[in-house]
Amino acid sequence: MVLLQLEKERLVWRARQVAGPDHRRQSSFYPTLDAHLQGGWPHSGLVELACGPAGIGELRLLLPLLAQAQSRLQVWINPPAELNGQALAQHGIDLSQTLLIRCQNPQQALWSAEQSLNSGCCSHLILWALRLTAPQAKRLQVSAKDNQALMFWLHSQAEPSTSALPVSARLSLAPVATGLRLQIYKYQGLWPQHPCQVDMHELWPSLATPGHSSPHHVPVLMNNIVALPSKLR
Amino acid sequence: MQWLYLYFPSLQLDSLLHQQAYNQACVLVHKNEVVQTNPEARQLGIKIGTGLAQAALLCAQLKVIAYEPKQEQRLLAQLAQRLYQTSATLYLDPPQGLLLQTSDMLRLYKGLAPYWQQLQQPLMERGLHYHYASAHSPLAAQVLARAGNDRLLTNQDEATRLLSQLPIHRAGLDHKLSLQLERLGLNTLGQAQALPRSALGQRLGQTLVTFLQQLETSSAPSWPAYQPPERFRQRLELLYEIEHSTALRFPLKRLLSDLEAFLAPRQLRAAGLSLGLEYQEHASERLHIGCSDGEYRAESWLALSMLRLEQLKLQAPIIAVSLKTKGQMPWAPLSAQLFEPPGGKLTAGQLISRLQSKLGDHAVQQVYLQDDHRPERSFYQGLPQSHYQSQQATRALRPSLLFTLPQALNHKPDHRWCILSGPERIQSGWWDNVSICRDYFIARNPIGQVCWLFRTPREEWFLHGYFS
Repeated sequence: MVLLQLEKERLVWRARQVAGPDHRRQSSFYPTLDAHLQGGWPHSGLVELACGPAGIGELRLLLPLLAQAQSRLQVWINPPAELNGQALAQHGIDLSQTLLIRCQNPQQALWSAEQSLNSGCCSHLILWALRLTAPQAKRLQVSAKDNQALMFWLHSQAEPSTSALPVSARLSLAPVATGLRLQIYKYQGLWPQHPCQVDMHELWPSLATPGHSSPHHVPVLMNNIVALPSKLR
Repeated sequence: MQWLYLYFPSLQLDSLLHQQAYNQACVLVHKNEVVQTNPEARQLGIKIGTGLAQAALLCAQLKVIAYEPKQEQRLLAQLAQRLYQTSATLYLDPPQGLLLQTSDMLRLYKGLAPYWQQLQQPLMERGLHYHYASAHSPLAAQVLARAGNDRLLTNQDEATRLLSQLPIHRAGLDHKLSLQLERLGLNTLGQAQALPRSALGQRLGQTLVTFLQQLETSSAPSWPAYQPPERFRQRLELLYEIEHSTALRFPLKRLLSDLEAFLAPRQLRAAGLSLGLEYQEHASERLHIGCSDGEYRAESWLALSMLRLEQLKLQAPIIAVSLKTKGQMPWAPLSAQLFEPPGGKLTAGQLISRLQSKLGDHAVQQVYLQDDHRPERSFYQGLPQSHYQSQQATRALRPSLLFTLPQALNHKPDHRWCILSGPERIQSGWWDNVSICRDYFIARNPIGQVCWLFRTPREEWFLHGYFS
């Protein structure tokens, strides 16, 4: 009887239910990833991405998603370097819907994130922050869910936070020649998953080697030297 | 024509006391003489005209404030601004009177009683003491109101009767003139009215004749009617000094609700507010609070202002607050989408204003493209929604994270690096003395970062960004 009640209130999740009405997804526009995650990113909530060093392709993982959803604002908080407008615009991101926030301290960054989510006019939020405590993560998670926004929390540790933070998904990223290797630690509505390889060759042919071809010929740096005009030397 | 006169015997004192709920004896003093009293002071026997020394004897804890004619005039104008929403034609009669033409308004309000009810409301909100009277001529209404008649008369005969019964010394005449009249044995206004005008003029001067004539003429006063100002500007003097910025909330709330009452009927929004803080013995300070979408609601402005004030450290106690609008624009309904935004509590502009109030204007930015081949100049950051986004993005592959200053590499990239593409030569900028000549490469370093490197003609290597 109690179990029935709990089930009615969706407090109990049965392994049989693969994707209930609460488990809507938005496509990541990477077919392998979508297949692996049964539809893609969560529709709303907080996603933790442990990236390790910046620049391994963590934004490339998100750019196709951001380029597709543009009816509301996309907020970037404290990126580790300047956001290159040219690169964003190249990938089809509407810069007029992009807001860049730089905060002096972590408290302000969290405050801005919460305000942006609660305003209801932000669809995606990307926050670079070192760490979140469980209450902070919970507040952001609730704000994101309530306002149907998807928030990515990126940090530079190689492993995701060990504490059981109340997030929708927790993944770690590692670079490979073909793109990224995703280790999935937690994903709401999914069983524990095997690591997943994201092939970025199709979208970024010059940045990633094709996944299923023979060992690629790597150009050697020495062969690429081009003589500069002599007066500049 | 029908006229209504409102007389505020203690306008400055009432406005001062109302905001701070002060309930001790308090008087306004001008040239060592009490000019305005509150009920508590009157109970103690302090009257208007009492000397300051005597008043201090009657009550040791008496609060004494200087009377400021200019401030009172400002208050009267503020009041007129508020009453203008109820009554179309009104005249300021400084220092303490307002004259309203009622006959035009009666059709709208369907009678004098509902009209009067509408008028009373703002007066009660402000906690003002007032006397009023209506009559057939502006001067008659004024004389009756100042005498404390407090009745709305629709009948001209009734007003005439009341006027004729009025003692001479309460008719508002010059002190010397009323003394002269009383010495002649004329104790009421009616007795003076009954005498032939020419004889009165010869004996007592033309002033009295004009006065008696004006009591009967119902035409509008000679000075121009009140015109509401185009822009909102208000100043609030504080009875207590405020030392913490958060305590400004209450005076500010009052100013902002007046702002809302100013903007809403005009269908306007304010794009920004200029908040003036006047310090004791210190130069006053002005804060600018902006809202890019424009806003008229007091509630939203209060939230924005408090965010700003929380960060402010007051240099000295504050004695007065003033508020004026900076840029007003017509109100346009928000074009909300029917299905899309589920929360939709704020618009993008409101969110930006809120963030800017707390973090400062330059913490919230948008990226704009620029037509330049030099990577660091091909985009810039500016205030959101301030520039027009027009440029097309370049075709060449660019990193999403770029360092403002390229970082020098200690070692030349060796065999452990994997060159993915390059070189791409960028040579530009000879026209503004920031010329560059660089060969750019895309390379993956040993830990897997996809870097954007360049080599200068001097064979120095720099890291300029990540293909994050």
